[in-house]
Order: sequence, then structure tokens, then C-alpha cells
Amino acid sequence: MTLFRTLRRWQLLLLLASLGVPIVLMLWKPYVLIEGLQRGGLYAVIALPMALILGVVGIINLAHGEFMMLGAYFAYWMGVYAGLDPLVAMIPAVVAFALLGAITYVLTIRRALKAPELNQLLLTFGMAMVGAEFANLMWTSQPLKPHLSYVYSSMALGELRFGTYAFIYTAAAIVLLVLLHLFLRKTRLGRAALAVGQNPRGARLVGIDVNRTYLLIFSVSIALVGALGAMFLTRHSVFPSAGSPFTMKSFCLIAMAGIGNLPGVVWGGFGLGIAEALVSSFRGYGGWADVVFFAVLVAVIMGKSYRRQTA
Amino acid sequence: MSLKSKAMGLRVWALAILVVVGAGFLVAAEEGPIKLGAVLPLADITGAQGSKAMQLAVDEINAAGGVLGRQLELIIVDDESKAEKGAAAIDKLATVDNVDVFIGGMSSGVHLGELPALKKYERVTVWIGAASSLVEQAVVGLDWYFHIHPWDYLQGASYVEGWAALQAEYPLIEIQKAFWAYEEGAFGTSSYQGSLVAFSNWENVGESFKSALLGGGDYRAVLRHAQEFDPDLFIWVGYAADALPIMEQAAEIGFAPPLFVGSPPGWPADFGTSPLADGVIAYGMWAPSIKDVSPVSQHFWDAYIAKYNEQPATYFAPLGYTNIYVVAEAIARAGTLDKAALITALEATNYASPLGETLTFTPSNLIDHQGFRNQKILQWQNGAQQVLWPFEYATALPAYPFTGP
Repeated sequence: MTLFRTLRRWQLLLLLASLGVPIVLMLWKPYVLIEGLQRGGLYAVIALPMALILGVVGIINLAHGEFMMLGAYFAYWMGVYAGLDPLVAMIPAVVAFALLGAITYVLTIRRALKAPELNQLLLTFGMAMVGAEFANLMWTSQPLKPHLSYVYSSMALGELRFGTYAFIYTAAAIVLLVLLHLFLRKTRLGRAALAVGQNPRGARLVGIDVNRTYLLIFSVSIALVGALGAMFLTRHSVFPSAGSPFTMKSFCLIAMAGIGNLPGVVWGGFGLGIAEALVSSFRGYGGWADVVFFAVLVAVIMGKSYRRQTA
Repeated sequence: MSLKSKAMGLRVWALAILVVVGAGFLVAAEEGPIKLGAVLPLADITGAQGSKAMQLAVDEINAAGGVLGRQLELIIVDDESKAEKGAAAIDKLATVDNVDVFIGGMSSGVHLGELPALKKYERVTVWIGAASSLVEQAVVGLDWYFHIHPWDYLQGASYVEGWAALQAEYPLIEIQKAFWAYEEGAFGTSSYQGSLVAFSNWENVGESFKSALLGGGDYRAVLRHAQEFDPDLFIWVGYAADALPIMEQAAEIGFAPPLFVGSPPGWPADFGTSPLADGVIAYGMWAPSIKDVSPVSQHFWDAYIAKYNEQPATYFAPLGYTNIYVVAEAIARAGTLDKAALITALEATNYASPLGETLTFTPSNLIDHQGFRNQKILQWQNGAQQVLWPFEYATALPAYPFTGP
């Protein structure tokens, strides 16, 4: 059977759009495609750790952005006191935030696993408030950002000049997706995590230590988002409320892709990044970028709901 | 002696003791410190350094013997940048601390929340914050209210005067086209709308962006549109969190207009250390380089660093220092804390401030007691902020055109 015959109509349309839109943009507004992929990569790579927790532990971590913010502060102060570049500071950040994630899980999340979902949301919301207020008290609301000359490196293709550094987010999203895929599908711990995510009771019955799996996944997720905070700092100022908008965007991407659909999070991130960049490319319509973001989100969710009803 | 006359005698003694003790309390209150109640956002650099500068001034005055033979006591309450906290701070300072004068302030929004409380107590208020003319409208007719910070329309008028003066003084600088990139909130939008009126002789184009403070941080679309417009002057109106990223992204796409102006309420403390800052123009009330042309500013600079081992990085530092000295000198002139006398004394203020100008109180559009009226046009050169205009405080020639990194 050919590829076209095996695909459903909507999948075929999506495939054609995925190929056709970039080609059109490359010819019409190439910087939209470039900056859209960079922007979308940032959204996707930040959302992936949250998707991991939601898919396995089943908790929406409303403190996700705050952990990223704390990771950015960690990298900033590592730069000030140890002279570390933020990208290098990602390594100690992984260790530090894995520990922080483990402590957070043991002291708080573990105790709320059997609680109603609202209580779980309130718990992580409270953690977000604590994180933001802690940062405010420690470092005030003054934004901090190291000067890094490589973040504005660029190249020119004819008359088009564009930044090259921000492709690090695009690359990081793809690399992280591949690594998570390999971890979840090819390792014993990863397969155990998948099993726990699908059916915790069943996983327990077959001898998987569910609590230890939750602890591992939560710690890995916080370690990843803490390290991503260091990467975030390279192009963004850090201040106590810097992370919270990304909690919302990450949750929206996951809602759009579906729980457990990590590739969907990445493709959705790229798609939304390109959509935002396209809208912003028309002068005076930059303010509509957020509207487009959430309109696409609503459209995808409604589309999925319609397909489930008609299936 | 009968029982009746003994009882009467005891009553007289008790009354006499009460009178003496009560008089003693009154005397103690009179001889106690003069209390200045300040409300500031301590988590923000403006409040953090403003409060330190105030304390510096209080310590200097007390070391010199205080005012009217009494020490000054500075009581600071954090408004946490929230209107309801600011209002509660005023209530606390008035009822618990029983301050003699209200001082301080930063945010216009917070101050609008504080005004009902201030109006309740009607104590002399000398305020260094709040630029919005909405606040001015709310304090019309209050003879006990003194405002030091320039109102927004006064700032705009000073920018118009400043740019005209710079173009006249330096004919190489010519502004006909301006591109305004403004954050999409109330602050940016109102700044842009006001600027369209003030700079109507320029060809103006504007576009909004989402500030990093509100979840944005990608300015490339706006910068590309500005690049296409090819302005003589590019100005962004946003927040401190936007400052360095916007410069990085401008460098990334190769955007370097002849004049690159930033107009946030405050700058990151270390912005000047970045090579990208060189040539960037800013608006402000003060720059450290003013100490080179003002002995008062030099004294403030040296004293602040000696006391706190850090450099003042915001104009709210010298503004806070000014706040204390203006009030202290007025109390000394009045010779009393009587409200009417203090108001008269404040109206006679003529204080050479560390911001460079001499502070006096004159009528603004709506109120009788307005202090400073102008901003300054500044430029980062080799890591330091220099004053370009007003020329009487200028510390450097303009570096023109802006070339980027």
C-alpha cells in the first residue's frame, strides 16, 4: 500500500501542509520560517518536561515555569561567582535541580497523589507562588542577564540577515524528544515509567515500584527544566515572574498534542511558533500573535473532540 | 484635720501629680524625634536604593545635630508595588507610628491607591514618585501636597525641547522620521500616543510588542519593520527586562539606526557594562557623570558608596536623598512642625539637589506645588551614562551616529 492510501484524509492534509507551508514561507517570508522554528523550539523544549510529568505522574505542575526561572537564576549566579557560561552551567543545574525535584516530590507531591485533582493543582500553584516570592525576596524584581556576544551571532543569505544562535532551542527540542523517546522505549526504567503512566495499579501488580518511578520521573523533569532555565537565560532576562507565562504555554501545547504525545508537543510548538511569527510579520498585527496561539489551540482541541465523536 | 479635708488634700496632690506627669509626657513628645514616614517598593531597585539614600540623608542631618534640636527618625514601609499595601502603609504610618510628614513613593498606580488614605490624614506630604497626570488630577487643591517627580506631560515637553536643542546645537543630528516600538500595555501605549502629539513635526510610525515582563521577549518582527522604515530615530518604550534582549536582537538582524533610544522606567543595573549599550540614548533625571559637574552630586555619590559599598544605579537614589533634605530644611525654616508654617516653608524651597538642578516648587498645570519639571537626555559612552542635554549639565558630546556592535 502506498503512503497516501494508508493515511487518513486529515493526516494527508496535515502532511501536505507541513511540507507546503515551509516551502511557501521560504519563498515569500523566509525569516518567518527561521524565526518561527526558533521560537517554536523554545516553546517545545520547555513544554517537554511538563509533558513527561503529566504523562507519567498524572499531575499538572503549575510551578513548571518557576522551576525554569530558578534554573535561570542558578545559572546567572554560577556565572557571577564561578565564571561559568550559562550553557556550561546546565551541567551543575541538572544535578542541583534533580536533587530539588526529589526533595519537592518527597515533601509535597507524593502526599498529594491520592488527593483530588483540584488539591493537586492548588499544591503546585502554591509551589509556584513560593518560588516566585522566594526569588523576589532574594534577588528583587530587577531583571538580570549576562552579556553573551554569541547570542547575537548571525549570518546573511543575500539580503536576508538572521540570527543563528536561537536555533539552539530548535535543536534542543529535537534532541530532547529523541532522548526521551529512547529513554521511555528502550530502557527498563523508561518502559516502567510508561507502564505506570498508563496504569499505575496494573504496574504495581506486576512488581513495578510506582512510587520510585514517580520520584525518578519528577526529578528528571525538574532537572531538565532547571537546566533549560540556564539555556533560557542566554537570550532572556530573568526576574521572578519570568517563568510563569511558559507554564501556561507549555500546558496549552500539551493540551493540544494530547497527554503522552511527546512528538505532538514538538510539532505543535513549531507550528505555533511559525504561526506567531507569520502574524507578527504583518506590521501592526503583532498583538494578534497571542490570539492566534490560543485560536489554533482551541481549533485543534475542538477538531480532536469532533473526530472522537464521529469515530 | 477632719477626714473631709484630708480627702480633699489627697485629691489635690493626686491632681498635681497627674498634671506634672502629663506635662512630662508632652515635653517628652515634643523632644522626641521628628518622624518621617516613607512608603517605597523595597523589592525594586528604586525603593531599595531610594530608602538607603533617605537613610544616608537622615544620618547626615542627625550627625550635624538634627533639626530644631531633635533627631530625625525615618520609618519606611514596603508597599510591595501594590496599591492596597501602599494604602495600608499610610494608615500604619499615620496611626501606629504617628509620623509628622509623609514622603517617598514610586509607582503612579500604587499612589492612586494611597491617595484616599493620605486625604484622610491631610498631613504634609512630599512625594518623589508618580509621574502619571492621573495622579495630578487627583491631588488638585490639596495645599499640603508637594510633588517632586516631573509629571508625564512635563517629561514629554522636556524631550521635545531637548531634541530640538540637540539638533540646533549639532546640525549633523537630523530627525525627520521616527519609529516607536512600544510595549502593548497601558504604559507603552499611552507613552506612544502622547509622543505622537508632542513630536507631530516628525514622520512617526509605531508598533507594539509584547514585553518580556509580560511573557514576550521576541522583538525581531518589530525591529525588522523598523529596519524597513529606515528611521532617523528608533525608540523603544518598554521595561528593564527588554533592554538587553532588544539590543541583542537588533544586532542580530543588523539594525543600527542613527539614534537608538530606550525609554523604560528603569534600566538593568549592569546594562552599561554590555558593549551593546555603547551609543544607546536614554531618558533620565540623573546620571552618575553629573557628579563631575555638581559638587552636591559628587558628595552624594561618595557618601552613598562609603556607607553602602555599592554605587547608586537609579535616579531614585539621589531623589530619595533630595526628599529628606527638602523636608528637613523646610522644618528648620519653619521652626515648627505646625502644618501651615511647614507648608509656607516648603513653598520657599530652594535646594541644590544631587540630580543637578535646584529644586523649587512652582505651579504645574493643575497643582500649586510641583518640583522638578525636566528629564535629561543621556547616552551610554564607554560604559558610563553621560548627559547630553540640558547643556548646563552636559558631561559629553553626543556620539553620533549609533553604530551597534
